[in-house]
Amino acid sequence: MLQDMKRRRFLQTIAAAPSVPAVLAAQQTVPPPAPAGVKILATGRGDVVAEPVPRFFTHVQFETLRKLSDLLVPAGNGTPGALDAEVPQFIDLLIGQSPADRRQLYQSGLDLLNQHAAKQFGKPFGALDATQANSILRPLMVPVPWAYDPPKDLGSHFATTAHEDIRTATRNSREWAEASKAAGRRIAGPQLYWDEIDPIYKG
Amino acid sequence: MAKQEFDVLIIGSGHSGGMAANILAQKGLSCLMLNAGPEADLAKDRVLKAPWDLPYRGFVQPGRLPHVFQATAFNANVWVDEKEVPYTHDPAKPYNWVRVRLLGGRSLLWGRQSFRLSDFEFKAAEIDGIGDNWPISLADLDPYYSRVEAIFRVSGRKEGWPQFPDGNFLDADYGADSESIKKITELGKPRGILFSKIRASNGRNGLASSINLLLPDALATGKLQIVPNAIARELTVDKNTGLANGAYFIDRHSREEMYVKARTVVLAAGTLESTRLLLNSGLANSSGVLGRYLQDQIYGVSVAASVPEARDGKAPETLMGGTALVPRFRNLKKGEKHNFIKGYSMLIASGGAASPNFFADYGEELQKKIDHYAGSVVTASIYGERVPRYENHVSIDKTVKDEWGIPVLHIDVRDSANEYNMAKDAADTAESLFKEAGWDILSKTDKFYPPGYSIHEVGTCRMGDNPKTSVLNKWNQSHDIKNLFVVDGGAFVTCGWQNSSLTILSLAMRASEYLAEQMKQRAW
Repeated sequence: MLQDMKRRRFLQTIAAAPSVPAVLAAQQTVPPPAPAGVKILATGRGDVVAEPVPRFFTHVQFETLRKLSDLLVPAGNGTPGALDAEVPQFIDLLIGQSPADRRQLYQSGLDLLNQHAAKQFGKPFGALDATQANSILRPLMVPVPWAYDPPKDLGSHFATTAHEDIRTATRNSREWAEASKAAGRRIAGPQLYWDEIDPIYKG
Repeated sequence: MAKQEFDVLIIGSGHSGGMAANILAQKGLSCLMLNAGPEADLAKDRVLKAPWDLPYRGFVQPGRLPHVFQATAFNANVWVDEKEVPYTHDPAKPYNWVRVRLLGGRSLLWGRQSFRLSDFEFKAAEIDGIGDNWPISLADLDPYYSRVEAIFRVSGRKEGWPQFPDGNFLDADYGADSESIKKITELGKPRGILFSKIRASNGRNGLASSINLLLPDALATGKLQIVPNAIARELTVDKNTGLANGAYFIDRHSREEMYVKARTVVLAAGTLESTRLLLNSGLANSSGVLGRYLQDQIYGVSVAASVPEARDGKAPETLMGGTALVPRFRNLKKGEKHNFIKGYSMLIASGGAASPNFFADYGEELQKKIDHYAGSVVTASIYGERVPRYENHVSIDKTVKDEWGIPVLHIDVRDSANEYNMAKDAADTAESLFKEAGWDILSKTDKFYPPGYSIHEVGTCRMGDNPKTSVLNKWNQSHDIKNLFVVDGGAFVTCGWQNSSLTILSLAMRASEYLAEQMKQRAW
């Protein structure tokens, strides 16, 4: 309460003296220099120091996604696989924020893999060995000559969509770039990025 | 009410607005240019970033820009935010409206392909047997094309083919074609399929935009003022004379409404924004065709093949590489029998990689296939002309308003059998050429993107000699309001297979010189 009263009093003071900021603004034609001795501090990134926590998929769906990611983009020949690049965690983030139709595709697709696994092997997809999992996945994978005309079959639609996402997320990862650099392979390095330009004023 | 009256109010700053300002300011007319968005500082607003340093690893933020298939995580901030300026369409009739509101508009980002239209487009009705001709021919626009080609420093190879008019080109050394390009060129000849080279604007210092090629000279005259962040809402006319006399616009940040007076108004906001402004103003539509005949090209049809001798990295040095442009070759002669009118072009690229989507494989097996085919792939990408149809139109959706309270566009476009038949013919033709060359087909699709995807939307404000069937006359001048001009792609009667920028620039130059002469003679 005391804080609120102080804040109100402060705002009232500002409101009563409108000419002060105007005068200051007129004098300050260039931004003030940083106080002496203050420099930009070295900071880090959360995703470098901490483990991402999946929040969107259920535990079973996430384990299915992990297995699927490992099958579609495995590690090999000096390149990290999707699991090394923490792609399942990233896909959880990406799909969790995506429009409803894309969320539904992933949830239904992962559930479908699990249904096949339960029916054929009596355990979740995430618990299958590679041979068992491939026997479910391989029939779903089809060529997609036109990205905007996805396969009509749900399983194929999901598997081919997830393949593209997982592959891209792996190749766009820091882990992939560092491994490629270490191996002397060419990588898609930094690209021209357009900053947000003069966004709408929101006060 | 208004502090100052300008000779000309120009709305929009892309290729067409930039050209209008360039001509009119140098003719000594006082010009005000309003641009709906801000100015970018290309030195500061663009930085190098790696995909892993972006929040979504190089994916566009989920749900953002659903209609802009060209959007990437790197350029997403350039396109108009669909939540700020939405538009509506029937979900069964999708339309991709791809917009840029930065100063310079889409001229900051265009692909720079620079083709003239030919009389197969200007006089399309004579070839097609239906539809309408433009009120001008190639001969009318030829001198303006030449001047624009000089400003934009267009390079190209002269061919002497009427369907692919030559221009005022820079000398360009294309070098010798690779053996794969030579082979397919020879196979095309007996079928009347001719191979040339891409024609492109070189611009200056890697940029071919209004902001570096057109607006600086206009500003140097001291006759041009540019106001960014100024969103035109409504044009006004003098009740007594019926002439345009100004416009209301809204400050993008404060939302303050302002009014400016002008003796002449030039709309150059981009095909659909200019038409939206006219529709919202209730002007220039005595014909009833304002908003109609929206068209662009079909993009997406493609065929990919692999050259056997080039696989596993074993291609001889001269076998692969290079590109070729095949201009329209269908329906160039009366009496040709196809199940579609008009035609398409093909861009051939040799020496590329196989897309992972071509295969059902994954993991290590996929990588082996990609390595196997690397460098052996030839692709044909097809660009086809849509038919201008009265039914394909835009109107105002009064139930939805943009961030600034301005009613938005409703877009109602559907493809016809002509587009589907053309796409099938294109894919079949490319496939048969590749097979005849002895190459193995890796992928083929006759599907194409929704209308608008090509970012070459034209029409909705078309020109013509008859005021009952057209909005503008042959000078891009409103039939109804003689001091109102629309100099962007809205004026097109047919879109052709060609990229539209060179024609938009040339029409804008021609219209602006006419306008200046009319003002000199005090025609209004």
